[in-house]
Amino acid sequence: MVNGLPAVTALLPALILAFTGLALLLVDTVRPDARSNTSMAVVGAFGSLAALAATVWLTASGGVSPDGGAVLLFADAIKVDTLALFFTAIFASVTALVLVAAHDYFHDHANPAAFYSLVTFAATGMALLAVANSLAVVFVALEMVSLPSYVLVAYLKQDRGSVEAGMKYFLVGALSSAIFLFGISLVYAATGSLILADIASASIEGLAGVLGVGVVMMIGGVAFKTASVPFHFWAPEAYEGAPAPVSAFLSSASKAAGFVVAFRVFTEAFPLEMAVSANVDWMLAFAILAAVTMTLGNFAAAVQEEVKRMLAYSSIGHAGYALIGVAALTVDGPANGTVMGAAMAHLLVYGFMNTGAFLFVAMAERWGVGRTFEDYAGLARRAPVASTAMAVFMFSLAGLPPFAGFFSKYFLFQAAIDNGFLWLAGLGAINSVVSLYYYSRVVKALWLDDPESSSALDAIDVRPTALYAAVIFAAVATVLLLPGFGPVIETAEAAASALF
Amino acid sequence: MVNAFAYVPAIVLLPFFSFLVALGAGRYLPKGGAFGGIAATAGSFLLSVWVAATVAGGRAYDETLYYWASEGGAGIGPTDIELTFGVLIDPLSALMLVIVTLVALLVHVFSLGYMNDEGETGLPRYYAGLGLFTASMLGFVVADNLLMAFMFFELVGLCSYLLIGFHFREPGPPSAAKKAFLVTRFGDYFFLVGVVAVFATFGTAQFAGPESFPALADAALNGSGSVAWTPGGLDLGTWLTVVGLLVLGGVVGKSAQFPLHTWLPDAMEGPTPVSALIHAATMVAAGVYLVARMYGFYVLTPTTMAVIAFVGGFTALFAATMGVVKDELKQVLAYSTISQYGYMMLALGAGGYVAAVFHLTTHAFFKALLFLGAGSVIIAMHHNEDMWDMGGLKSKMPVTYYTFLAGSLALAGIFPFAGFWSKDEILYEALVHGLNDPLLLGGYLMGLLAVPVTAFYTFRMVFLTFHGEPRSDTARDPESVRWNVKGPLTVLGSLAVVTGLINMVPVQKVLGLEGIDLLHRWLDNEWGGIEGLSSHHYADIGPYSSAYLVGGEVGTVLVGAAVSLGLALLGLGLAWRLYNVPSPTEHTAKLGGIKDVLYNNYYLDELQVWLAYRTEDVAGGANTFDQGIIDGVVNGVSSVSLTGGGRIRKLQSGVVSQYAALLTFGLVALLLVLGATGGWFL
Repeated sequence: MVNGLPAVTALLPALILAFTGLALLLVDTVRPDARSNTSMAVVGAFGSLAALAATVWLTASGGVSPDGGAVLLFADAIKVDTLALFFTAIFASVTALVLVAAHDYFHDHANPAAFYSLVTFAATGMALLAVANSLAVVFVALEMVSLPSYVLVAYLKQDRGSVEAGMKYFLVGALSSAIFLFGISLVYAATGSLILADIASASIEGLAGVLGVGVVMMIGGVAFKTASVPFHFWAPEAYEGAPAPVSAFLSSASKAAGFVVAFRVFTEAFPLEMAVSANVDWMLAFAILAAVTMTLGNFAAAVQEEVKRMLAYSSIGHAGYALIGVAALTVDGPANGTVMGAAMAHLLVYGFMNTGAFLFVAMAERWGVGRTFEDYAGLARRAPVASTAMAVFMFSLAGLPPFAGFFSKYFLFQAAIDNGFLWLAGLGAINSVVSLYYYSRVVKALWLDDPESSSALDAIDVRPTALYAAVIFAAVATVLLLPGFGPVIETAEAAASALF
Repeated sequence: MVNAFAYVPAIVLLPFFSFLVALGAGRYLPKGGAFGGIAATAGSFLLSVWVAATVAGGRAYDETLYYWASEGGAGIGPTDIELTFGVLIDPLSALMLVIVTLVALLVHVFSLGYMNDEGETGLPRYYAGLGLFTASMLGFVVADNLLMAFMFFELVGLCSYLLIGFHFREPGPPSAAKKAFLVTRFGDYFFLVGVVAVFATFGTAQFAGPESFPALADAALNGSGSVAWTPGGLDLGTWLTVVGLLVLGGVVGKSAQFPLHTWLPDAMEGPTPVSALIHAATMVAAGVYLVARMYGFYVLTPTTMAVIAFVGGFTALFAATMGVVKDELKQVLAYSTISQYGYMMLALGAGGYVAAVFHLTTHAFFKALLFLGAGSVIIAMHHNEDMWDMGGLKSKMPVTYYTFLAGSLALAGIFPFAGFWSKDEILYEALVHGLNDPLLLGGYLMGLLAVPVTAFYTFRMVFLTFHGEPRSDTARDPESVRWNVKGPLTVLGSLAVVTGLINMVPVQKVLGLEGIDLLHRWLDNEWGGIEGLSSHHYADIGPYSSAYLVGGEVGTVLVGAAVSLGLALLGLGLAWRLYNVPSPTEHTAKLGGIKDVLYNNYYLDELQVWLAYRTEDVAGGANTFDQGIIDGVVNGVSSVSLTGGGRIRKLQSGVVSQYAALLTFGLVALLLVLGATGGWFL
């Protein structure tokens, strides 16, 4: 802990992101001639790295509260604890990777400046979402993430796919937000409060049905953000139509933002004992969602022809795995903290490997080699380093040792079994086997298949430095998280255990 | 005072550095890196002597040096298990260190003559292999737990593969290397399962100390302790027997015991100094050493002991008979190695711990001597190994002849050479313990029968090689060998004569001279050692009691020694009569049909090939099962998933209003399910 600092220092990561976004916007507005793609990217990346550094510093030093625990601000509307900092670290890391990679992706875009400020603002919203302790703040922050996201998906405004995807994303998002907001209002009607701790302690005599409907509707809002079935319909199209760095951002950071809501709101506002006594079994709802989501995501990914769309469905599948963290919970379960901590660790690992995979797709789009598996054939001959990184991402996503994705999935399934959810872990294992099929297709195309024609590889005529750096950094992180997994899982478990 | 034990890791690491140097910079060094290897093994040898002297000064060492998994035992498996590297120095390992480093040093020196002077190519690879081989064996010797031992055991196997296949451009060596690798690996599978079983049963694989697995097993069998796990309510004694036999699988493979001995004769394809190293001090010795290392565990299970003894006795006789008809010098030696390790196993199984270590020691010296002598002959004969092309080399190469003769006398067990004392003690132990135990007595009788056969083939080899008239032009004018061949031969020749003096038990018993059974006292921790690792302790917890023939102990000693010496002289005499003539002829035809059986090694290779094919048939069946049923299921699953995936793809129609409808229906369905289970609508 750090003495002598005002409590608001705990919000430093979010503040840094907000000011970075404002600065980018300011330059873009006031001195349009002074802006350049490079300087914008550098400022954005430094801003997000500074936010990451602040997060790590807060976590390592024990925060600013006198007793080292959570910091409550603004009449309990904000709560900064290890859980929030853990997720903020994910958001900031992914943001930095995406911003660096975007530099090369938007090298010939007419107006790249707004992109950087929009991503930073969305990241600010995520950081705010992580610390939200009131349903009102949750909703505002959620919208703060969603609105820039709609624009980002439609960012290539000359591209029909991008615009159409943005439109669909917006429509589904609007519907989901409405459902979520309606759910919040029902919860308020039943409990008379928006602060999570007060909801938990409120008397709901005779209003369990109202509360239950509200809770299910809130689950809908979470399912939209995490791209879980049946709120997933926007995801394949948005990920496919959006610029690849945006896909990376949405599928990694934005998904994690959805999970922070699930992890915090449901365990704090509707504790397990209350959920059982009031017959509002949201764990069961999440278990159903997890099972359906992972199965649908993986099975659909297996039949895709385009790599980016495959990754979109695989991202839905991974949302299913992470949902185990809020599904495999029981009252006084021995592994409640472990299973949720493992899900958090999985999201962190996923943040790197999935972002890296989408950024590789961004690189392929930058080269213009095409989108299907066949188009990727033989890329390793021209781009061995990037292809190695992609192979690392694919095997790690599939959960093969010795990559970090293996450990996080292993801990997750093990903890689920410890808590008595063998069926969920078993289903996850079956789905992992299915996923190995389509992930290895990518590796096979890259490394084993022959290119369709001898000139097919001539498209690779540039070496986008920043994209390379981002991809390789993500790959190194994916590998290094294996030896460094101990502290990660310990932090995550400690953060999660504090919720029960 | 400087602590010698602090330098034990250096004993292992010095040859390892020579491996690295030879591998990385060998081609820039004179002699392909040989001097680095010689310096390293010489350094290891000196350190080993120092360590042995420290043990003689009354100290021992058992220290865990490195935790490579879960220090403090955090949650591996059903019990808390620590995986470690450590060093265990007691009289046994100190003795073995001296033997291994000495033989390795001499082999390195000899290689200068055998490899460098003969203009072999690829010398850096050769010396790198020798260095790693030595380092692996030394690591195995000092290992303080079974898992570490297993890892170095495997490294030893890998190095033997690399060195046997050194001449990889010829057809024979790679095939022999593969065979050695696969056959020993077959045994090692059992060993590996055994290691896991030991961990699961005891939660530790330490060799020494009150928390070691032999001590825990002893306590559990006494009822004063318990083990962490036994499978499915199996009786503890039975389970320990199973574990012991599993580990024994690795021993049988490495020490070339029946039926996994078939790799060893083929391994003669490797360079001769490598054969010397493999047979005398490293790979083959590893198996026997392992049993001696965990002897405190084996003596607890009488069935395992009986199996060890019987297999050993059988192998001793069985291999000896095959050695009788071989035409090539190194082949004869190969079968003699199998046979001699059979003796060691017999001794171990018969409760003769000291006898086995004694024979291991003497055998290391005289077998290294014989191989290096054979190497010398092979140099002289321009790499022709057929004994029928030799003859009359006695006068041309006297140093080789006299040292080889000393080694042969030791091998044949002729008084007073080293082999006589150790073999006699083995047979004595087997006899006195076997009089109450028919299986053991069977082992003893086979061991006894092998004595004349051994003497016969040994001297058949000596007479054919060195005596009589030269039978080829090369034999008439052999190439001369240099100091680097003669030096090691002289050292080993002397040792082959005198090593027997370290353990003159029969003399002590007959004449009543106290104190000349040095090895007994050494292994009984008289000077220094670790509690629970002494020959006395093993005898106390062992299953055997002694019985004597006429005349009590002294009478039995005299009768046993007289019988075995008489039989040895009988075999020698027969060889003398048949082959010590100016131009000997093949007498194998007189054996009739047996000859073919012996020539073809009892058709065991064919049997193994047949078994391999039958295994292939079984594998074929499994393949059909796999293709038909497993793959069928997998294909079914994948076609279901692909079809299912196709359906889902159709669901993703691209029409937003459909999405909104599906989304709403999905939410309502969820609401209904939860509402119904939660009873909200009542």
